[in-house]
Amino acid sequence: MSMAIRIAREEWRLWLRSKVVVAAALIIAVLLAATSVLTINRIADEQVQRMEQQVAAEETFFAQPDRHPHRMVHYGHYAFRPPPPLAVFEPGVDAVTGQSIFLEGHRQNSAMFADTKAGADLGGFAALTPASLYQLLLPLLLIVLGHAMFLRERESGTLAVLLAQGSSGTKLALGKATALLSVIAIFMIPLIVVAAYSVTLGESVLAAASLVAGYFLYLCIWGAIVLAASILIRQRAISLGALVFVWLFAALIVPRVAINASSAAIDAPGKIESDLVMLAEQRKLGDGHNAADPAFEQLQAQVLEQYDVETIEELPINWRGVVATYSEAELTNLLNRFAENRMALEAGQSRLFDLFGLASPTIAIASSSRMLAGTDLATHHRFLRESENLRFDFVQALNQAHATDLDYALDMNRNNDAASAEAARINAESWQVLDEFRFQPDSAVDRLGRARLPLGILLLWLAIASSFVVWAARKVRV
Amino acid sequence: MLRSLTRELRFLRRDRGALFWLALAFALSVIAVSFGIAEVREQRATIATLVEEDAADRANALSTQQDWGGAAYYAFHLTYEPPSDFAFAAVGQRDTAPWKHRIKMLALEGQIHEADTRNADFGLVGRFDFAFLTASLAPLLLILLLYDLRASERTARRHDLLVATVGSPRSLWLPRATLRVLGLAILLLIPLWVGAMIEGASPGVVLQASAIVIGALLVWWLIVELVSRIDASPSVLLTSLIGLWLALAIVVPAISKAAIEAANPVPDGGEILLLQRETVNDAWDLPKDDTMEPFVEQYPEWREDSVIDEGFEWKWYYAFQQVGDQTVAPLARQYREARLERDRDAGLVSLLSPTSFVERAFEKLARTDAMAMVAYEDRIRDFHEDLRRFHYALIFPKVEYDAARLEDLPQYDPSR
Repeated sequence: MSMAIRIAREEWRLWLRSKVVVAAALIIAVLLAATSVLTINRIADEQVQRMEQQVAAEETFFAQPDRHPHRMVHYGHYAFRPPPPLAVFEPGVDAVTGQSIFLEGHRQNSAMFADTKAGADLGGFAALTPASLYQLLLPLLLIVLGHAMFLRERESGTLAVLLAQGSSGTKLALGKATALLSVIAIFMIPLIVVAAYSVTLGESVLAAASLVAGYFLYLCIWGAIVLAASILIRQRAISLGALVFVWLFAALIVPRVAINASSAAIDAPGKIESDLVMLAEQRKLGDGHNAADPAFEQLQAQVLEQYDVETIEELPINWRGVVATYSEAELTNLLNRFAENRMALEAGQSRLFDLFGLASPTIAIASSSRMLAGTDLATHHRFLRESENLRFDFVQALNQAHATDLDYALDMNRNNDAASAEAARINAESWQVLDEFRFQPDSAVDRLGRARLPLGILLLWLAIASSFVVWAARKVRV
Repeated sequence: MLRSLTRELRFLRRDRGALFWLALAFALSVIAVSFGIAEVREQRATIATLVEEDAADRANALSTQQDWGGAAYYAFHLTYEPPSDFAFAAVGQRDTAPWKHRIKMLALEGQIHEADTRNADFGLVGRFDFAFLTASLAPLLLILLLYDLRASERTARRHDLLVATVGSPRSLWLPRATLRVLGLAILLLIPLWVGAMIEGASPGVVLQASAIVIGALLVWWLIVELVSRIDASPSVLLTSLIGLWLALAIVVPAISKAAIEAANPVPDGGEILLLQRETVNDAWDLPKDDTMEPFVEQYPEWREDSVIDEGFEWKWYYAFQQVGDQTVAPLARQYREARLERDRDAGLVSLLSPTSFVERAFEKLARTDAMAMVAYEDRIRDFHEDLRRFHYALIFPKVEYDAARLEDLPQYDPSR
């Protein structure tokens, strides 16, 4: 073991003497520090802002005066998704999806005002986050540091001496691996600090630790690939060129081609497209605004029988409220069916994308990173589902109040004159039906469960890359 | 020169490293162009289906209406921005900004910000399109092709002999590098040209695009050439060149983006929606004149017809929808201006980064840039205004309902 440490120490001495290596490491360290501080500040601002907006939206809803209950159905409400604590490291899809959604009767709106829509467009990678630095730049640093670590001994002739002294290729490789591992360990520090900070913001230790472990795995994979290349290839420039190609392929080409491929393989219709199909079905259900619509005849017969009366005027409840409740439930069933279908297709696309992790560890770490941080597509879908539940609950509670608290005759005469309009209102107390909405990240166990596939792929990569190193080191000859 | 080029061509045929990079460039270009064409075709097919279903849905909705107000309330109208014939080369903003809407006569601000975009992962990772290939990858390939021209001869111990035999070093290295740059450019461009022919892109656009590709490669060649003058080992040269690439392709754009966005804040979208909703909802409880006065200010031609006698009248309903939009108009304008301002600044700053410059230039040619997206939103606004004028002329003077007149409903025209 002491031999490995000696070799590693020698490696460090050489690195510290090389201006290129020191400069590269320093630049990356500065970038990491700057990006982390900027992202932490930005996410903290958004967190506070969205929480405040959520509370303010609830307060304005509660503060509405006495009104006709259906007015409140259209007045609507907002759901906001504050970024989870680990978004300080991995903001994920939040920038693309938009983080607020307007909730109203008879409609499921999409999340609006995504940051990217109003962003300054400077091409492909313009937004840097701590996560993307770890995914893209640190492998390059490892390549610059390590591409010649082994073959240098060959070039300078020291390899022959070392082997003659009884050292083996495996022992030498172990020493080089120790050196690379120490570099990886040092560059894990910023991530560990950010993860620890997210724990102080309320993140679970399990999720934060898994994220750190995932990135450690990822960097070790690159370390092993770099080491293997430096053992197998005999010229520096070729080793560097080959490694740069591997990086180009894994970090830049495969992820984007995977997006093209999954978009081409699974056609997920947009909202408008599925809305149009749905609208045709909805028309069969009848329009909830018009209680005289023929589609409600069956419902009417049933309700009249239930209350044992002849006409809707005799009902002890407000028929228009009954119709509104009924049609909202029917429509929501339909809306949810189409929304679920759309989300399932999108999830299928993302699963296919994750499988491309087998061709690029960068995809595997990026997916695990978003899943563990709770900034992945699945979390966005859960936000859509939960805000939909919130919407349905308050709309139905208001429709219920419409049925029980507002007299039918008063309701029918509401447009006669100002006094009738005044009479067709219910007490503002009824607005208290709105539930408090605080969007929470999934539990750490759930997130870890979701990240099983990409984390498994990372482990597979590490196993293959390290056995490759062992195989290469075993057959080292002068 | 020609003789030395044919000589270099013979050398190149044996240089497996260089051939590999060139073949890779060609393969990637074929992949980028074919995926681009597939995506554009899918978008066109989607639009064709939508146009058809939208018309059917509208006809269906209108068939049961009995008054103008109801007809305006229930008829949706599809608006869309078809991909241009060069969009296959640069998907640009089309993955993150919506290019289709269904709008109706209600307040527009509540509808125009709806985002019917694709899977969020797509927008996050980005696509492998030709613009990305030329802007980001081609420079790396060029670096890999050129960085060890001299050094490889040194390694083969031919360098000094070569330099001594040729008259001037320029006549040795220039043809060699020229051939590689030219080869890379042509191999990248052939699939683009074929794609452009299939898609029927105009020759002018293709010519500009080709000039951008060649220009960008020349700039990177100059950079490589300047760095290669440094007397250092090939691996140090390659490291420095990749460092430069990182700085120009990733770091400079990222810093500029952060700076531009900090310098030009956009109004919070939530505020636009909130204000619009409050205005529209408050109108129900306000005296009707409070709505009709600001409305008439905007549309004085309906002053005579703007007296509301009953508890509910459609003209009052649409007037307060209109007033909702009027109230948020300054905020919405700010939002639009800030986006354009950011785009203008990004255009200036992109001069610092060849990568950003090339991507932006391609998006501009393909009409998938921020400007094109804002222009699309402007078209939606114009169309919505046409709709309003059409319906106001029927609702305000109390024209008798006649379904046949709805055949003259304004039609959305994406090319206007």
